[in-house]
Amino acid sequence: MISREQRIVAAALIAAGVAIGVEAMTFEVGFLTDPVGPKALPLVVAALLVFAGSYSLVRPGKAARWPVREAGFRIVAAAGAFVAYAVALPTIGFFLSTTLVVMALSALYGAPRAHGLAAATALSGVLWLLFVRLLALPLPVGDLWIR
Amino acid sequence: MGGFAIALQPLNLGLALGGVLVGTFVGMLPGIGPINAIAILIPVTFATGIPPESALILLVGIYYGSQYGNSISTILLNVPGTASAVVTALDGYEMTKQGRGGPALAMSAISSFVGGTLSIFALVLFAPVLAEWAIRFGPAEYFALMIFAFSALSSFSGGSLVRGLVSTALGLGLATVGLDPNSAVPRYTFGQIELLDGMDFVVVTIGLFAVSEVLQLLEDTKGGQQTAAAYGRVMISAKELAGTTWTMLRSSGLGFLVGVLPGAGSTIASFLAYSTEERIAGTSGRFGQGDIRGVAAPEAANNAAANGAMIPLLTLGVPGSGTTAVLLGALLGFGVTPGPLLIQEQPDLFWGLAASMYVGNVFLLLLNLPLVGVFVKALTLPRWFLIPGVAALAFVAVYAVNGSSFDLMLMTMFGVVGYLMRKMDFPLAPVVLGLVLGPLMEKNLRRAMSLSGGEVNVLFESPIAITLWALALASLAAPTLLRMWTRDVVAEVDAAVPTGVPDEL
Repeated sequence: MISREQRIVAAALIAAGVAIGVEAMTFEVGFLTDPVGPKALPLVVAALLVFAGSYSLVRPGKAARWPVREAGFRIVAAAGAFVAYAVALPTIGFFLSTTLVVMALSALYGAPRAHGLAAATALSGVLWLLFVRLLALPLPVGDLWIR
Repeated sequence: MGGFAIALQPLNLGLALGGVLVGTFVGMLPGIGPINAIAILIPVTFATGIPPESALILLVGIYYGSQYGNSISTILLNVPGTASAVVTALDGYEMTKQGRGGPALAMSAISSFVGGTLSIFALVLFAPVLAEWAIRFGPAEYFALMIFAFSALSSFSGGSLVRGLVSTALGLGLATVGLDPNSAVPRYTFGQIELLDGMDFVVVTIGLFAVSEVLQLLEDTKGGQQTAAAYGRVMISAKELAGTTWTMLRSSGLGFLVGVLPGAGSTIASFLAYSTEERIAGTSGRFGQGDIRGVAAPEAANNAAANGAMIPLLTLGVPGSGTTAVLLGALLGFGVTPGPLLIQEQPDLFWGLAASMYVGNVFLLLLNLPLVGVFVKALTLPRWFLIPGVAALAFVAVYAVNGSSFDLMLMTMFGVVGYLMRKMDFPLAPVVLGLVLGPLMEKNLRRAMSLSGGEVNVLFESPIAITLWALALASLAAPTLLRMWTRDVVAEVDAAVPTGVPDEL
């Protein structure tokens, strides 16, 4: 018996395949570059995805075991923290944003708050020294502090 | 011999030592695999401006070093550091329970050394021969070879061929993002300037492997931080060494052969070597009950396979696994195009690397025999410290690729995708192989077709191409045969190793 989730995955594969294929048809080249052209590989990808999606409708694999509610919450929170990090990094700079994200992540992993803060500050500091001072690899200072 | 002049330069010696140390750690720690460490260090090596051979000595050191380290947590905790050490758990952990953890660790280090060293010997022997032969490869042959690599990895890497193909298709699809180099048509960029250059394999790899692992480990935050059982002195008797000599030699040879083939790699080598030795031992063996040969066989084989996999990477430029695909990406980033001419054109790189691998294996043996205690300490690091630390390193590495936080967004997206793929049993390695090898495959196909004026037959004309197509087809059936040969071992592993198999090839 095929589960709802497996049906969603199969439908997503087919939809992705169709979308990739439709988009590939727009890759027109004005002049003849080569007999294969830019369309061929995307069309193969599209065909593979549509085939795999249809196949898994007929012969679904074993169902995934999803985490319990709290674990799911932790995972969503962590992914959210990473997105927030990407947004905040240019503005508040490497040191502060890395300290915050590492602290958040260690809290999600169950660290005592004081331990997490100490570890996060130390880690951000060490990484800053290592990359900016030692390897001369520029990390953002933060637009907020420069102005 | 000129290679040793390169390998023994202080910088390269230091990098080899650093590489094998990092490799031992990431191999040992469950959840952090060599592919993560290599991907994270690639932008760093670019930034430092060290020469390509030095960078390769470091990155490859992590790669083979991890094959030593992976057995430590396997033997002491029954938690395999990487998938290629899973079989070692059967007899290794059993020996620990019997109070013979020390001999198991020593056996693992020695057989890793034997497998590693013999396979480097085979590498320098066979790589030039294969390169000589591969000079005849034209675009049609390369295209067929890459199809072989894709089909082999798709069929070997996951439980199901269809899911493997989906992962390969995803990787190939990602490879098409950006400006098409032939016609300058933008493909799947959605008007984003950041995507015109295409997807950077470092960003995708770190997202798919490291970030998804960080997310997955959140499912069970109580794990990790375990105290290892007492293991006694890390040494074995001369009698035990003599009794495993043939096992180590056979497993090294087998592992090397499996490693050279695309798709298979260290994990399959370790399963094959274990099954084979179990059969050879017959009733004299106590496999699964703490037979020391059950440690020697997979450890010799997985090290030999890791080094064997360097042959197609260096002499053909066609990797057969996720980790070697990342190494190919690193080489291309340094402006080195591996292929049949590499040994002639970049002798320093090839011979320097080979010599440093000998040196690295000696380091590993010396580190792993007396210093096991230090490594075991690392297993007691709490997860709340270790994993956020790895995440922070991953962020810096991804940011360093282009100096843009857009890549951090992409990384997070691939982290979520990777997590979902893990949960639904889609293998991750084919995505990376597709992404790195896809552009080369497309280029060779188009070149072959241009030369023939659009005649498709050119792809199936030469005997070499026909053979490669046949191998590609055969590889689709190979997992079934393999499963028949290793069925007993797979069942034993499922029963004995509670954490399951970490997904990494």
